[in-house]
Amino acid sequence: MIGRPTAIALIAAGVVLTATAMVLPWYSTAYAGGVEVVVRAWGTEILNKPGDWPAGELSPWYGVPVVVTALLLVAGVWINRAALAGAAGQVGAVGVIAALVVSERGHAVDQQGDFAVGFGLVFLAVGTLVALAGAVAVQREAA
Amino acid sequence: MRKIVGLVLLALAAAAAVGATFLPFSELLIRLAPGQPQTAYVTTGWSTQFGGTKDEHGPLFAIPIVLAAAALLAGARWTKVAYAGAAALAGVTGMLFVYLLNAISFHREGNIAIDPALEAGFGNGVWVLVSAVVLAFGAVVLHPDD
Repeated sequence: MIGRPTAIALIAAGVVLTATAMVLPWYSTAYAGGVEVVVRAWGTEILNKPGDWPAGELSPWYGVPVVVTALLLVAGVWINRAALAGAAGQVGAVGVIAALVVSERGHAVDQQGDFAVGFGLVFLAVGTLVALAGAVAVQREAA
Repeated sequence: MRKIVGLVLLALAAAAAVGATFLPFSELLIRLAPGQPQTAYVTTGWSTQFGGTKDEHGPLFAIPIVLAAAALLAGARWTKVAYAGAAALAGVTGMLFVYLLNAISFHREGNIAIDPALEAGFGNGVWVLVSAVVLAFGAVVLHPDD
C-alpha cells in the first residue's frame, strides 16, 4: 500500500507534468505547401496560412479546464476530496481531447495530411494518470 | 428516504448524461443561397452532420460521457466512486464547453458573409449535460454511504 507521502509525491508529479503540457504542442497536422496546424493548450497556431483559409478562428483554450483540475490537485495536498475531484475531472477533460485527437487524425488521413501527437499531449496523459494514482492512494490512506 | 433520493438522483444523472449524447451539442442553421431552405450543421455526442452528409471522422464525445455515467452508476455502492464519476462528468462538460464555444464562434465568423441571418449556438444536449452534472453532485451529497 502506498503511504501518504508517496501519494502526495505522485499528485505533485502529476501537477508538474500537467503544467509542462500547458506550454508544449498537443498535436499537429502538416499539409501540402508547408501548411501546418499546431494545437496547444492556449490556442491553435496555423503556420504558412494560405489565402483561402476559412474565415474565423478555431482556437479553443483547452488549457482552461485543465488549469482548474490542476488547481484542485494542488488543493488535494491538504484536502483529500479535492485531489480526487481534480484527478477525475482531468480524466474527463482528457477524454474529450482523446475524442478530438482521433477525429483530427481521421480528417488528416482523409486529406493526405501528416498527423503527429506532440509531447504536450503525452505529458498531459501521463500527468493525468500519475495524479489519478496519487489521488486514489490518498483516499485509500484516509479510509 | 435520503438513501432512496440519493440513488434516484444518481440514476437520473447517469440517464441525463447518456440522453444528452443523443441531443445536439451545437447547431448552425444556414442558407447557402438566398431563397434556399436552411441547412443544419449539428454536432451530437455520436455524430457531426451537415445537412444529409455525415462527417465520418466526427469526434465521439459520447464515449467519455458514457464512461463517466457508468462511474456514476457504480457509485451507487461507494460514495467516492460516485464523487469521482461526478467530477469526471464535470471535467468532460467543461472541456466540451470550451470546444463548442470556439466552434460556434468559428461557424458564425466563417459563414456570416454567406448568410447574415444564420443561427449558431449551443444545442439542448449541453444544457441536459450541465443538469446531469448538478444532479450528480446532488446525489453525492445525499449518498447513502455518508
